[in-house]
Amino acid sequence: MNLTQIAARNIKQNFSKYVMYFFSLSFSVFTVFSFLALMYNESVLEAIVYDARYESLLGFFRIIILVFVMFFLISSNKSFIRARKKEISTYALFGMSNWKIGTLLFLETMLVGLVALLVGLGAGVFFSKLNAMFLLNLALDGVVDNIAFTLDPRAIYYTVLPFSVVFVLMGLSGLRVVSKFELVELFRAGKMAESRFEGSVLILLVSLLLIGTGYYIAWIPDVRVVSSQAISILLLVIVGTYLFFWQGLPKVLNIFKRHKGKYYIGENLISVSLFSHRMRSIGSLMATIAVLSAVAATAISTGFSLYRNITINAYNTVGFDMYFYGGQETIMPEIEAAFLSEGVQILDSFTTERYQTRPKFEPVIIDNIELLNSEQGYFRVYSESIYNKLIQISRTALEPVNIHEGKAMWMIQKGYRSSTEQLVSALIGKTLQFTDRDIEITSLEDSSILLFGALNSVLVLDDNDFAVLLEQGEITNTNPSGTPYDQVSVFRYERPLHARKLNNDLNKILTGRVSSYRIAYNNYIEALEIFGLVCFIGFFMSVVFILMTASLLYFKLIMAAEDEKRHYQMLRKIGLEQVVEKKVIRKRLFPVFVIPLLVGIIHSVFAMKTADTMVFTQMISAQNSYLIVLSSSAVMYVAYALVYGIFYYITRHQYTRIVRF
Amino acid sequence: MEILRVENISKVYGSKKSDKQYMALSDISFKINAGDFVGVMGASGSGKTTLLNILGSIDTPTTGSYFIDGKDITSFKKNQLAIHRIKNIGFIFQDYNLLETMTLKENIILPLALNGYGASEMEKRLNELSKNLGIEKILDKYPYEVSGGEMQRTAACRALITSPKIILADEPTGNLDSKSGKALLDLLTFINEHYQATILMVTHDVFAASYCKKILFIRDGEIYNELYAGDNKKQFYESIIDVMSVLGGEIR
Repeated sequence: MNLTQIAARNIKQNFSKYVMYFFSLSFSVFTVFSFLALMYNESVLEAIVYDARYESLLGFFRIIILVFVMFFLISSNKSFIRARKKEISTYALFGMSNWKIGTLLFLETMLVGLVALLVGLGAGVFFSKLNAMFLLNLALDGVVDNIAFTLDPRAIYYTVLPFSVVFVLMGLSGLRVVSKFELVELFRAGKMAESRFEGSVLILLVSLLLIGTGYYIAWIPDVRVVSSQAISILLLVIVGTYLFFWQGLPKVLNIFKRHKGKYYIGENLISVSLFSHRMRSIGSLMATIAVLSAVAATAISTGFSLYRNITINAYNTVGFDMYFYGGQETIMPEIEAAFLSEGVQILDSFTTERYQTRPKFEPVIIDNIELLNSEQGYFRVYSESIYNKLIQISRTALEPVNIHEGKAMWMIQKGYRSSTEQLVSALIGKTLQFTDRDIEITSLEDSSILLFGALNSVLVLDDNDFAVLLEQGEITNTNPSGTPYDQVSVFRYERPLHARKLNNDLNKILTGRVSSYRIAYNNYIEALEIFGLVCFIGFFMSVVFILMTASLLYFKLIMAAEDEKRHYQMLRKIGLEQVVEKKVIRKRLFPVFVIPLLVGIIHSVFAMKTADTMVFTQMISAQNSYLIVLSSSAVMYVAYALVYGIFYYITRHQYTRIVRF
Repeated sequence: MEILRVENISKVYGSKKSDKQYMALSDISFKINAGDFVGVMGASGSGKTTLLNILGSIDTPTTGSYFIDGKDITSFKKNQLAIHRIKNIGFIFQDYNLLETMTLKENIILPLALNGYGASEMEKRLNELSKNLGIEKILDKYPYEVSGGEMQRTAACRALITSPKIILADEPTGNLDSKSGKALLDLLTFINEHYQATILMVTHDVFAASYCKKILFIRDGEIYNELYAGDNKKQFYESIIDVMSVLGGEIR
């Protein structure tokens, strides 16, 4: 029997141990290949990578994936070799030289690696069209109907090359492990006691303080603070998390041990002592997993929330299905003709002057920056009835208003840098001085849709006030030299985000012939491309992170199972019932999965708050955008928990099998 | 009062179909009274550990039955057996079988914890026992932090804490140097006398056996002889050596 045969036989006999190992190797190959295949897919290239921004984003993401996959492969390989220490030592005992054992392990790794590479590539090729379709559907909403099933050899080449290197390295690391083993150590491997490890209250408190501070900063609803402190938040939370798992959690367990009423219950005693005994070796892994889970959960939730809000966002930035200013006389008939020929009905349209006014008022200064200056700046101004008409045509959630004489509503650009409280205290009650009357600001709204070229502020007046001021020339629609500004026309029509053909026609008519125009559909498509890609990357990365972190835990625990077998044998001798044994195993394994997951999700809940402050408040016009973000994040958290749940069950099954054997 | 009655126990290893059957125990019967300190001796492979495993309900006999406190243990179901094991039997193993993830204290109270005792009851029993066994000062240490003798005393303490009907000791002195071995035997005698605990000790160490009140000799799975300790310990010791030399076991 030569070494290759022994290697093959080992794989056959250790099949159950190999299954997960093999699965994770193949999955790594699959991941990398799928990603590369997408990058080289012609349709994807055409649709997305034409833009340098996206290309660099994808390139950055490729590096993350590769680094993570390597990290994953190396740690799983290490666990796998450790789990087989006994077997290796038996070979050594029977007189096989270290060199031969090393060669044997190397051959095994190569064999498994080769098969994993083939399976991973096969699966990758099989799913590549599906992946491309998925990405393009997310990103382009079916714009590309026919996806070319192109298989770029470069994708295969760039997958095979790094993996071959990694597999060889893994095999060599096996050689190294064996040559470093002392036979005695090998046989004692299981019995090597980890020294007393009780953690520290101080560090527990410090870790909680760090995380708490990070959370606190992340929770501040001020774009400037969170964006300037982003790095500090990350550092605080990550350092805090590691400290917590290194020293804090062992202390928590230690504190639990003092509660004799709970601790001195058979299954708790066994499972807690086993867990706390392993804390030192598994602490770093759990911390890493918590951090990665947080990243993945946040990425996927952000992507998902963005994606879900694209439609709303398109309307919030544009406000109308379409608007343009200038050139109405020649263009209106063409537009109407275009709608007619596409069979789309215009539900409503309205054309109005773009009036402006410059009342005198005390400068509004918020955080040392002047909001609007009565000398240089001007207000876009509407009467109550024009405003209500415009709002009725728009697709926003704004409500019609009723303004009393002498009062006015100030509409400020959406997402203006200051917090709502600051704006309210600065603007409400403010007096605007016109020649013959003073007008008081009594309400505030934040929306950009009626600016139509103004700097940041819109004024809505009572109809009478408006008429008088227009008469007096304090409201004008002309520039200093007397020529009137272009009128603005707004439109509301049927199925505005689905009429692709019509949209093309409209773009052709409007381009270069009007002062300015915007169509919600254009915005929508652009958002789809960006957010679809971000969403896809978030999704892809999360899937990779989730599956790989979960399988790292699996390997770690299976390795532990080999060590802990003796404990269960002993316990059975002193009367451990099967029912209790099941409970012990459950309590032993459950925390290892659930604690990092929970910590990751809690981190992510706070990260989503920051994301909300930075992105979503401006996108979502609802009262509490964070709740909406959380609700879509929750979907992803549940999915995340489900995957972990499945891995927990697989691990429990396998662990039970090992300790019962 | 009779505490253990063994009736015609046999144990056959190997499947019934194959020819390679091996009879580890054949038709063994004996009785043990409460408060006895019984030794089981025999050469390697004579079946003494098999007997102990069966009595400890870790293994099941092929035929025959045995009764502890009048109850037929062979008729128990798996979970009943586990409960019976915790409640009625205390084990002392050669390799201590202490869990290195737990402190000595946690190791000792483990059987009580598995049996649902309250924390205060555990502490009460532990305090009394650990004082008597002289390990009260090292209770918060881990097994790898104490000596073999201390580990064995901890194991004895764990065996006693449930106040079992019978204590089964499997070569308890096997891993100890002679001084610690003697200390442990003194301890077992103390347990036997002070707590009126019934002890069944498997050993092939003549010196250890000489501490027993009664010795069963096993050869090829059958009871070959019985010896009772008289008043003269030296004479008892010599008669054990005589029997053992006939049995062909190694004499230490």
